[in-house]
Amino acid sequence: MTDKNSYEVTAAEIYEIIEESPTIRTLRLKPEKPIPFKTGQFVELTIPNIGEGPFTPSSSHNIADTMDITIMKTGFVTEHVHKAKVGDRVGIRGPMGTHYPIDEWKGKDVLIMGGGVGMAPTRSLFLSLLDNINDYKSITFLAGARTPADMIYKQHIDGWRKIDKVNFLRSVDRVPEGEVWDEEVCLITKLLDKISIDPKGNPVVVCGPPVMMKFGTMDLLNYGYEENNIYLSMEKKMYCGIGHCRHCVIGKYYACKDGPVFTYDTIKNEENIWE
Amino acid sequence: MIVKAQDFTAFLIKCQQESIGGFEQVIVPRKSGKPEEKQTVFEEIKPDTQPVFHSFRTIDPLRTLFYFSRETLLPADKTRKRLIVGAKACDIAAMQILDRALINDDFIDPVYKAWRDKTTIISADCLDVGESCHCTLVDGKPYVTQNYDMNLSKVGDSFLINVGSKKGEELVKLLQEHSTLVQAKGDEKDRVKKDRKDVEAKLNKINANFKRSGDYANLRKSDIEGWIDDQKKCVGCGGCTNICPTCYCIIINDDSNDKEFIKVRTTDSCQLHGYARVAGGDSPRQKMYQRFRNRYLCKFDYMKSNFDTIGCTGCGRCIDVCAGEIDFREVVQKHLQTPKGQE
Repeated sequence: MTDKNSYEVTAAEIYEIIEESPTIRTLRLKPEKPIPFKTGQFVELTIPNIGEGPFTPSSSHNIADTMDITIMKTGFVTEHVHKAKVGDRVGIRGPMGTHYPIDEWKGKDVLIMGGGVGMAPTRSLFLSLLDNINDYKSITFLAGARTPADMIYKQHIDGWRKIDKVNFLRSVDRVPEGEVWDEEVCLITKLLDKISIDPKGNPVVVCGPPVMMKFGTMDLLNYGYEENNIYLSMEKKMYCGIGHCRHCVIGKYYACKDGPVFTYDTIKNEENIWE
Repeated sequence: MIVKAQDFTAFLIKCQQESIGGFEQVIVPRKSGKPEEKQTVFEEIKPDTQPVFHSFRTIDPLRTLFYFSRETLLPADKTRKRLIVGAKACDIAAMQILDRALINDDFIDPVYKAWRDKTTIISADCLDVGESCHCTLVDGKPYVTQNYDMNLSKVGDSFLINVGSKKGEELVKLLQEHSTLVQAKGDEKDRVKKDRKDVEAKLNKINANFKRSGDYANLRKSDIEGWIDDQKKCVGCGGCTNICPTCYCIIINDDSNDKEFIKVRTTDSCQLHGYARVAGGDSPRQKMYQRFRNRYLCKFDYMKSNFDTIGCTGCGRCIDVCAGEIDFREVVQKHLQTPKGQE
């Protein structure tokens, strides 16, 4: 037991804002004191006078004195995230929850699937792996978005593709008139047909909208991945982040405390996991 | 040890008025309103209060004196040293669940913990039962057996005192300084035993139609159609969860301003439509029957997994409060008996 107030907030300043898509932006934050975390964990971000919400950092966990958080405009708090300006003061609680056990993945072929804004938490994982790329056999990133305009982190893609042992594939569901796209046009799960990884004993991470998580997991099982090697980032309504408010429960599990990173075999028997 | 009832009440009033032992507030059950009504409510003691210690549980659960509907967690609200008298075994059992949920190795609710630390609880045997009382169906008793500071059993115009904790020991010392305590002779204990048996018999009688195997795993397997049927009378008001002694779902509200970060918690209910809705609009348990069923699974399945004990202590308040007149006992009974026979 700790005497520290579990609700303690660390103030942080927005030092840069990157517009990633019409509805997604990245806040680059400088907290008053370093916030060490392990990739996969999330934080509660406070916009003063407005509210608080759970978000997973999108920066490497090897950096603690700054933090990037990529956020989609989708509700009341995130609307105000999109109104925030450089120099604004925000608050961070956390980190909270479980993380990806990347030390256990050394020497393995790591597969990451990130759909839509689900690319944000998986970018943190990706960058953390890149920091020690020599420890891993290969890293494959499958990224999906609805349209080319919705695809985030465009400015980094060329650099990432140049890295040895990295295979970065992208797809969009459709290409509206006037937009240009010379990569795959298909559901993200179809990108599995374009890669060849031995699924036995290798880890795969899935993060995206519920429907993509569900069908992604089914396709990965068909591909031959083992249930205990499919890592799901289960984002629910994590109000308190510390297992007290119960809003994020998935059956007997708390997404905030027992997750958000779960292996599929852990939660597969709980109800409505994809809702 | 034995204390005269009127001496004890006088002691409580003195504690409230003169802060004896550092107590800043003394809370007791009193009649809720009309003299013919059996219901009681918790209230701060006044010089003319007539406490009702040995009826059945109060209308409001003990939880609400430790976990208020709105409290500030950051910076943590101030609490004060209190004495709560007349708590019942069902509520004491519920506090054990809240303790496991809110003061655990990982995280602590700072305000709940402060109230717990600063409050001494004096429990009292039930000598009466409410129509919805059913502690005996969930392995409970109408008197405390553990986790109490001090307990009062009524014997004539006196109380037999039992001490259950260090806080209770300190309180007895304080009581001795201000009242006359005499040793129990032995026949008082027999009297208490008999009273307890009689009340248990009453409880068994009013709950004779309900039987529980204790294997609540069947609830999860029970036919969905049955739940859809049961929730037809439910208006989704959330009254059952708000009055439950073990429900502790909250919303964290942010009241931060430009100068400081302020976090406030307010009560929530899993029965309400937007309870689990996430950004983007997806919502687990969109349908009323799903939320209705969730409460039962939470109590008997999830809390069992989380806290190694079921989340119902048989107080029956959810039955009394229900606008749709749904009897919790009947619903549990029905779904324990009708497993669909397939996994």
